[in-house]
Amino acid sequence: MTETALLVLLNLTWQIAALALLALGLAIVFGLLRILNMAHGEFVMLGAYAHVLTAQLGLPPLMAVPLCLALVGLAALLVERLVVRHLYDRMFDSLLATWALSILMREAVELVWGRAYRNVALPVEGVTELGLVGYPTYRLLVIAAIAGFFLVLWVWYRRSLTGVRLRAMVSNPALARASGINTARLSAMAFVTGCLCAGMAGLILAPVMAVEPNMGLDALIRSFFALVVGGLGTLEGLAIGVAVVGGLQAGLSAALSQTAGYLGVLILAILFLWRRPDGIYRRR
Amino acid sequence: MNRNCRTLGLASGFALMLALPAVAEVRIGVLVPDSGPAGLFGPSARNVAQLALEDINAAGGINGQPVRLIFADAGVPPAQAVQSVVRLWRGEGVHGFVGMHDSAVRAALVGQFRGQIPYIYTPVYEGGECAPGTWVTGETPAQQLAPVLPWLAENEGATQWYLIANDYNWGRGTSAAAREIIEDFGGAVVGEEFVPLGTSDFDASLQRIRGSGANAVLVSLVGGDSVAFNIGYGAFGLDDRALRLGTLIEENTLAGIGAAGSNRLYAAAGYFGNIETEAAQAFAARYHESFGADAAPLNTLGQSVYDGLLLMAALGNAAGSMDVAAIAEVADGTGISTPRGEVLLAGNHVAQNVYLADGTGGSFSVVASFDAVSAGVACE
Repeated sequence: MTETALLVLLNLTWQIAALALLALGLAIVFGLLRILNMAHGEFVMLGAYAHVLTAQLGLPPLMAVPLCLALVGLAALLVERLVVRHLYDRMFDSLLATWALSILMREAVELVWGRAYRNVALPVEGVTELGLVGYPTYRLLVIAAIAGFFLVLWVWYRRSLTGVRLRAMVSNPALARASGINTARLSAMAFVTGCLCAGMAGLILAPVMAVEPNMGLDALIRSFFALVVGGLGTLEGLAIGVAVVGGLQAGLSAALSQTAGYLGVLILAILFLWRRPDGIYRRR
Repeated sequence: MNRNCRTLGLASGFALMLALPAVAEVRIGVLVPDSGPAGLFGPSARNVAQLALEDINAAGGINGQPVRLIFADAGVPPAQAVQSVVRLWRGEGVHGFVGMHDSAVRAALVGQFRGQIPYIYTPVYEGGECAPGTWVTGETPAQQLAPVLPWLAENEGATQWYLIANDYNWGRGTSAAAREIIEDFGGAVVGEEFVPLGTSDFDASLQRIRGSGANAVLVSLVGGDSVAFNIGYGAFGLDDRALRLGTLIEENTLAGIGAAGSNRLYAAAGYFGNIETEAAQAFAARYHESFGADAAPLNTLGQSVYDGLLLMAALGNAAGSMDVAAIAEVADGTGISTPRGEVLLAGNHVAQNVYLADGTGGSFSVVASFDAVSAGVACE
């Protein structure tokens, strides 16, 4: 019994960590720019395909990291300059534009790499024994890395000068511009950073997922649910959202069935959109 | 005046073009998924159709008339598929259809055809299709599992089965067929689970499998679901505890699962790209000669279109026409030789060879084959 409980706990932690990683990019772009990036999942997908490109070029596996940053960063910068920057403050238009963009990116990737499933080998194989149960080593490493990363990110956002400028831009763009903050550059930077986070999530999670051109949709939907529940636009809200959504799905799936887990998340998301569209954690 | 003359000329030109299909040829509509979730299998299906066309015409076509193939995308919703099929049937005068698509589209087409035109359905499916004028070459769950489950029990000690399936007709049908066979040979089903299509996270299922004491798992998941499940299965090290068997794990799915996730992962099907018979080896060599070394990999779904087309030609030739009533007279007992081996119509389904392959290491090697296995579908 304790064995099962430990396994459930580990699975829960993994779910929450992976979801936090997936949703971060969407949260950054929405929180700072008020743009719901419907192409978020496709940036995740692009990050996963960095592995495929690395293998094709015959480079060592670790080169996937700089390749991912370059590939996703370049794509995001192009998108920001050509499309997104014209649509700040036009929420619905930006939603449509990024949705179209997501279709374009899927088709482009299909054109280059085909529809086939791609396997990305685990960088670290094997199972680590944790007393009663064994757990995949790669997952444990990823959980630790995500926890550390979020801690650093939170401190940085609270303490650094760029963090202050970002928060100034979010709460009052006009005043921020008047105080000499280059909001255009800051916005571009925020968008690219959000997309890079999505790309890195794809890169890191690719070895545990089915990698194919349509994989992004699932990432988008799950991230969106987490943000709806937690509240859009803050790191704290993101943390609460992924904990509730990831926990509910993993808990119901373990206790009842996968169908129940999925249904639970859907119902929760609908309830929040209906009764409490700002989520649990309201911005002050 | 001049303009009227030209209009008249144009009109008669069009009339001529419309009359053109009267040239003696047999037109077969080939319905393959170019888009949608099964779009992955479109390229291999189209390629093998090309090979079948060459073979049929080299052997004199159907009743001495050359065959022409007309393709349509069947990876679309049923209503849309019906529209394009009616266009081929009524508009282009197609004489028969060969289809490799999902069961929802099949049901819609059967309703549209109502036995008025010969139709051959080719992919792996859940069994049970008995409509008049419809013949089925695809593997059924009973066909794939009846010889294979006892073999795995005897040779690999697989007696305690956990059944996991996607929650729709094929998944449910496969699990039900497996349960019957397992209980028949004295094994036990220690767990059964259905998950929604599109599930990407299987941690909870893997945990249940670990706790069930199963020494074998039947994986009736499709596409990305199967890939995600099997990757997780390997990562948790469950492959040491229980072997896996799938009836729809083909070359593309295995490529997605990769070497680390495929230890003791078995697949049962009527065809694999590397069956070691002379006919299969020659077929694979010709496929890669025609479409390149990096062409879409051969797999049982794509290859089934070849069998379907060959059977259509054999039926047309045996009946002396493409009339569905004439074909129905002679269909039972019609046989063809294909890369799968000997394929023989018994009723409206086929008896065919079933191969069991081990995917360990990330590529299939056939470990057992079973000759002329019945589809186990008895129509009234």
